[in-house]
Amino acid sequence: MQIKERPVPNAVILDLHGDLTYAHRDLFKAAVETLRQKGCRHMILNMAEVRFVDSSGLGLLALVSQNFKMNQGKVSMIRPQSYVREILGLANIPKLIPVFDNEQDALNGIAQAA
Amino acid sequence: MNPEISSTQPATHVSHAPATILLVDDEPVSRLSMAARLKRMGLRVLEAGNGKEGLEILRRERPDLTILDWVMPEMDGPTVCELVRRDPAILSSQLILMTSHDQPEQIAEGLARGADDFLSKAASKQEILARVQSGLRTASLLQSIESARDQLRAKQEQMEDELLSAAGYMHSLLPRAGEVAPGIHMSWTYRPSLALGGDLFNCSRWDDRSIMFYILDASGHGVSPALRAASFATFLRAENLRHFVTANDPAAILAEANRHYPLTEEGYYFTVWIGSFDRTTHQLRYATAGHGGAVIQRRNGTIEWLTHAHLPLGFEPESTYELKTTQIEDGDRVILMSDGVYEAPAATGEVWGTERLAATLGALRSTALSDVLPAMMAEAERWHGASIFPDDAALLGLEFRI
Repeated sequence: MQIKERPVPNAVILDLHGDLTYAHRDLFKAAVETLRQKGCRHMILNMAEVRFVDSSGLGLLALVSQNFKMNQGKVSMIRPQSYVREILGLANIPKLIPVFDNEQDALNGIAQAA
Repeated sequence: MNPEISSTQPATHVSHAPATILLVDDEPVSRLSMAARLKRMGLRVLEAGNGKEGLEILRRERPDLTILDWVMPEMDGPTVCELVRRDPAILSSQLILMTSHDQPEQIAEGLARGADDFLSKAASKQEILARVQSGLRTASLLQSIESARDQLRAKQEQMEDELLSAAGYMHSLLPRAGEVAPGIHMSWTYRPSLALGGDLFNCSRWDDRSIMFYILDASGHGVSPALRAASFATFLRAENLRHFVTANDPAAILAEANRHYPLTEEGYYFTVWIGSFDRTTHQLRYATAGHGGAVIQRRNGTIEWLTHAHLPLGFEPESTYELKTTQIEDGDRVILMSDGVYEAPAATGEVWGTERLAATLGALRSTALSDVLPAMMAEAERWHGASIFPDDAALLGLEFRI
């Protein structure tokens, strides 16, 4: 998996490329931790290039969401692929991490909720 | 060790006993003189008069180092080298070939045919000493590597035995098939994946009026999910739950479980489905935390999934869970299953899926429950193409004759 940071006004986007699974947990956790330490308040996970999320991946998403909330931050997600969207839906992840279709909606959505 | 090898020279072998050299030379005088030199070095010397005899002794005695003459009757030195290298039992032996002249072609041929080093018959005492020590050093290194490899293999076998024993314990936590309560028959089939897994299920009487049954799945791989699953199964025992909830209420049980089992630091969690059946009202109450493996097959064949989207346990502290109900009629069946069953992948990667599973279940409506579950498993296995699935596969079935 490859992860790239991309700052935008009022948020940072993590462009994820690959599988969000047990094998890549350390990489994902490290990338998120970096953002958290930089004081990022809104992290947007770009799921457009994520092919697969396994049960460990779901746990990671829940974990980072909880950690961000503890620091008064927020996490949202954009553009999950259809199969991944299904997995996320079955576990009701959108209840924890709102899902949007594009970056602008994510930024607006969080601004409205704040 | 003979004091002639001084303490300034590096130790050349692992064991404390003197190293053994096998000397293979058909010329008695040169063999005797070399043997004497080696013995003066404090080494134990075995002797053979030709290559064939030498090879036999090598196999039997496994000397640390073998010195071979080149030209010998029956079998020459290079041929011995070739045969040693072809035999897995002795191929790491250290072999020094003796040469009459330092001819470059001889050296190349000797190396190609399996020699490790060369010694001229006219070599000085110092050179003999040096090459023998070098050979013994290498032999010692190889021996320690082989010993480490054997220890690793033994350790691995031991660990596998321990895993099997742990798997046996997990199996002992599973319920006994048969009549759980009057009119309610339970059957199950369980196929753990190769590694120890974290799926467990149970069905038991809560009180005279109701039974409770569940299936849980601990996320992650390896021994850790199994340990956590066993812990959770203990928590879910009726006598323990009664400390926290007054009624056999699956939603309340989940809320309580959620408090006891938050997300671990590594992001591990449980998904679980809990059902409670009241024998007097015939009502099934159920709730789920992220577990989608529950289905009801009515007597008339209708199939309905008893699931809805909900966060797994631990995802949200203080989460509340939705309680659903449905009426059970005589002849209805409820089947709980691991996601490893409907997510069994084919070689192409496509999963068996809930639709194919439902179709299989439909076709088995008139089959006895105890045969249905193995048949479903067999169909998943056919789809997958192997008898071991990548994930645990459990099926728990209840048939209501009420």
